[in-house]
Amino acid sequence: MSCKEWEENLTIYLYDELPVEPRTALEAHLALCEGCRATLEQTRRLRQLLDERPAPEPSPEFLFECRQSLQDALDREELGWQGLLRGWLSVVRLAPASGAVAVVTLLALGFSLGWAMRSRAINVSSGPPGLSTASLLPADFQNMRISGISRVAPDPKTGDVRITLDAERRLTLEGSLDDPRIQQVLVYALRSYDNPGIRRDTLDVLRTRPDNPKVQQALLYALRHDSNAGVRLEALDALQGLAGSPGLRQVLLGTLEHDTNPGVRVAAIDLLMRHADEEVLPALERLAASDSNRSVRLKCARAVRELEKGGY
Amino acid sequence: MDGGCLELAGKLPTPETRVVGGNEEALIRRAQRGERVAFDTLVRMYDQKVLRLAMRIVRSPDLARDLYQDAFLKVYRSLTRFRFQSSFSTWLHRVVTNVCLDHLRRQSTREEVPPPAAEEGQPEFFHTLADDRPVLNPERALRAREIGQRIQSALHRLTPRERMVFELRHYQGMKLRAIGELCGTTEETAKNCLFRATQKLRGELSDLV
Repeated sequence: MSCKEWEENLTIYLYDELPVEPRTALEAHLALCEGCRATLEQTRRLRQLLDERPAPEPSPEFLFECRQSLQDALDREELGWQGLLRGWLSVVRLAPASGAVAVVTLLALGFSLGWAMRSRAINVSSGPPGLSTASLLPADFQNMRISGISRVAPDPKTGDVRITLDAERRLTLEGSLDDPRIQQVLVYALRSYDNPGIRRDTLDVLRTRPDNPKVQQALLYALRHDSNAGVRLEALDALQGLAGSPGLRQVLLGTLEHDTNPGVRVAAIDLLMRHADEEVLPALERLAASDSNRSVRLKCARAVRELEKGGY
Repeated sequence: MDGGCLELAGKLPTPETRVVGGNEEALIRRAQRGERVAFDTLVRMYDQKVLRLAMRIVRSPDLARDLYQDAFLKVYRSLTRFRFQSSFSTWLHRVVTNVCLDHLRRQSTREEVPPPAAEEGQPEFFHTLADDRPVLNPERALRAREIGQRIQSALHRLTPRERMVFELRHYQGMKLRAIGELCGTTEETAKNCLFRATQKLRGELSDLV
């Protein structure tokens, strides 16, 4: 081995990571080679010099600052806007529609939404972090329930304490279904809320406004994407008035071919048959032969016969 | 619920759910289930070490804070993928190393000049470790500062991987095998990196050794 080849082993040797055999061989070489001994000594002095580089240690203030920034970033990461809205609509209960005015009662995390959004806005912006207790009215504390405290952090600079908590306050919203704000909340509930019972109740209310474009979109969305078959059936039922539109026929065909629930597929056939056209027949023929569910295949076959009798 | 007073609901952490020198695995699993308190506790256990490493890699407080935050946000986002096949410390170090490597790569692409040392009178964000030797005279203090700047410049001239390997081996005391794993390479590659880094540093600082 040449001295150049030994040089690499010297570095590893100094860091005490050379295995036994090569270490023994190196030590034997060093005993005989002045040049390598000089290199070893120079590298050893280099290590000592490098150790003189000051080791940075974060001050308590800097560490606090870093931790606060991280907590703010984690808060934003944790909640996100969808989480805020979902939390706001954690419980929604709708009274049955009655006449032109539907009384909508929302049990919500509304206060926490407004409060959380305010406090998030404050944290994200360059303004003072958090809410001062002086800015909260006694009424804000009345009926407020703390559901969790995620952080209690003293500020070493000011002596104040910063508390991050989640709070709920029950709200009742009341208004007409023609009120766009009410519609917005209901549409959101139908599209995003976790509880399928609430989504079905929402459908019950929304179906009284089938002419409203936003309501139609929400019903179509529910038919195509809701995870609960009962909700999709309700949406299908609520869309009966629109069954004549080409757009809806396309959605119904899609439901017929792709919905995972055979009951929903059968209901889609019934609705399609009320406004059938030449587009529907090929799909029904295909599914009469290939659908995985027997009831669906029979229904499709019956529908095909009816359409053929009707001259399609 | 009494009007005018705050009701503390049952979701407040109870003493038995708090971690008091508790089992790290249980803590990680709770954090994986979304318990923020558990995650915050994990952060507290490791964050000073992470911040020290970040401060070694960059000498700017803003950048050090960014690296610290980036690293822990990555940990937060990917914690559910941690399968206990290594220690949490190793996994965390891997994330931090990658964040630092990414920074060094971006820095070398932009050819950034390292920030100048703080001038007299400016606030110090970084404290050095307490020096328990006799107080240095001003001339020695100035010399020490100059050497520190020379070392920093020499380290800056290493490639990102050479720099990380060197920092982790020399200043963090990690074994080359572990460093290879952290950097996504082999022990042999880590050894070569360490050798090249040492060679370059010896060349840059030859007048000082």
